[in-house]
Amino acid sequence: MAEEVTVEIRTDQGKRRIRRLRKAGKTPAVLYGHGQASVSLAVPTEQLEAVIRHGSRVVKLRGALQEQAIIRELQWDIYGLEILHVDFVRVYEHEMVEIKVPLELRGEAPGVKEGGVLEQLVHEVRIQCDVNVIPEKVYVSVHGLGLNGSVSLAAVELPPKAKLLDDPETVVVQCIAPKEMEEEEAIPAAASGEPELIGRKPEQEEEKEEEE
Amino acid sequence: MAMMPKRVKHRKSQRGRIRGNATRGNRVVFGDYGLQAMQGGWISAQVIEAGRIAAQQYLRTEGRLYVRVFPHKPITSIPLETRMGKGKGEPEYWAAVVKPGTILYEISGVSEEAARLCFARLAHKMPVKVRFVRRRPTI
Repeated sequence: MAEEVTVEIRTDQGKRRIRRLRKAGKTPAVLYGHGQASVSLAVPTEQLEAVIRHGSRVVKLRGALQEQAIIRELQWDIYGLEILHVDFVRVYEHEMVEIKVPLELRGEAPGVKEGGVLEQLVHEVRIQCDVNVIPEKVYVSVHGLGLNGSVSLAAVELPPKAKLLDDPETVVVQCIAPKEMEEEEAIPAAASGEPELIGRKPEQEEEKEEEE
Repeated sequence: MAMMPKRVKHRKSQRGRIRGNATRGNRVVFGDYGLQAMQGGWISAQVIEAGRIAAQQYLRTEGRLYVRVFPHKPITSIPLETRMGKGKGEPEYWAAVVKPGTILYEISGVSEEAARLCFARLAHKMPVKVRFVRRRPTI
């Protein structure tokens, strides 16, 4: 479902003006695509954050422009607290787009009841689908996942007419036996003393050479 | 025993300065929740290990813990009551150089509440200010 975002045409450029814009509660944005000229925009930060929070990907731009777009990229600050900039790409009705969607697990794995731990290796998946049916999330069922078993991307439940772009043989989730504390501690214990020096021969060899 | 590199090019390193923020290793990648450093500093191998044990004891066999930092830097010190000079001290311990924004640990396979409680225990051991973070939304 497309959410509406009110946009303004932005003429301000440069970091000082953009900082002022952000202080005023707006986020800089850019709209491009379909071979048309790119347009610099300003979006109310509250509206943008709401769109991101709701997981919407398609937005209807209102105000200075009347277009439909998808969110292509977000730039975050170092701490991941604020959105610094957003890229919108123009899309038509029923256009096929390539997009990344979050991947979640569905159900309870029998392997967990046997004492295993679920390890999710893939958290997002690239798909191609109609812009009107972009799913918020895609799911993988782990109902049949036993201990030491795995599920691949081929098992992802996709919406109709959607196509998977990633390798279907990629392992998404595996159920592994939990590591014991002692077993984990034993790994770094092997490396004791000082580390080996790269390019330096061991002391015994050096002594032999000196004797010769 | 604490972590340390297996092979190094030089036994000792200069102190260096921690400038700027983390532009790499500043987002949750492997797990669902993370512990992010809000200050820069050196985190010794012993502290990293203490944090790992504290988290592991809380989690027991549930979930999975990821340690995102590694102590690559040898820290030297000179013995007490030593006169000035006579060169640089001997390596004492290993530390990870952490910039503000670095993700230190990640957890997956547990609820947010459990992850918060686990990181709260772990945060007490850290020599820098830290905060709880979630995975960023997929775009």
